[in-house]
Amino acid sequence: MFELGISTVGSVNVMTSDKGGLTNEQITDLAVDKIVSISDQAPAHIRQQANQFREHLKNVLYYYLLLARKEERGSIIQVLESSGHKEMAEYIRRI
Amino acid sequence: MAIAQAMCTAFKKELMLGTHNFATNGNAFKLALYAEGGGGKSSTTATLGATTTAYTTTGEIANSGSYTAGGGTLTKVAPNTSGTTAFTDFADISFTTATITAMGALIYNDTNSDKAVAVLDFTANKTSTSGTFTVQFPTADASNAIIRIA
Repeated sequence: MFELGISTVGSVNVMTSDKGGLTNEQITDLAVDKIVSISDQAPAHIRQQANQFREHLKNVLYYYLLLARKEERGSIIQVLESSGHKEMAEYIRRI
Repeated sequence: MAIAQAMCTAFKKELMLGTHNFATNGNAFKLALYAEGGGGKSSTTATLGATTTAYTTTGEIANSGSYTAGGGTLTKVAPNTSGTTAFTDFADISFTTATITAMGALIYNDTNSDKAVAVLDFTANKTSTSGTFTVQFPTADASNAIIRIA
């Protein structure tokens, strides 16, 4: 007997949070895991370079993720303040 | 093991019968979450694996936050090939403001009689408490995609 093909199910990653949404670090990890995957069988120097790229990418994504969340909160605060909801705007500002 | 990762055997046959259409405008596929150790609805325990043929409520987690019975609809990634491997995948799915403890999941065809596609084993209980429960699917390529035929 010989096999013409092999069917395979890939692996998923589960990320959870308590009392709120995912943290910036968790979202960054999700993004980096999607972009970079490093084979266990890759030569050591390739793995080392890939890991360095991964860390660099993580830092860049984390910075812009923080910025995106901050800017969105800024826009929400502006809308709330301009429509007279100053107390609610203050709650958002403290997040 | 009550939940064992597998591509369902019935699904392999149904592929040959043209039952499942993974094109972006094809069938609707859903992901349901399951518990082990009596953690499911009405203290039921899931038994899922290669022999699973269709979605079942036995062992499914209870409704919480944005999770309701049957789970969430998956966003398909169009089937593709690379080298001699064909593959398809899904976008990540999240359930929010939810209190969930799940040990695994079932992907099934919501368009065609809830026929089972694959069982996912999280290998340990994953828990969210009034928070977000995200299932991240692998990169859609020949080495990692969730469903691959080589």
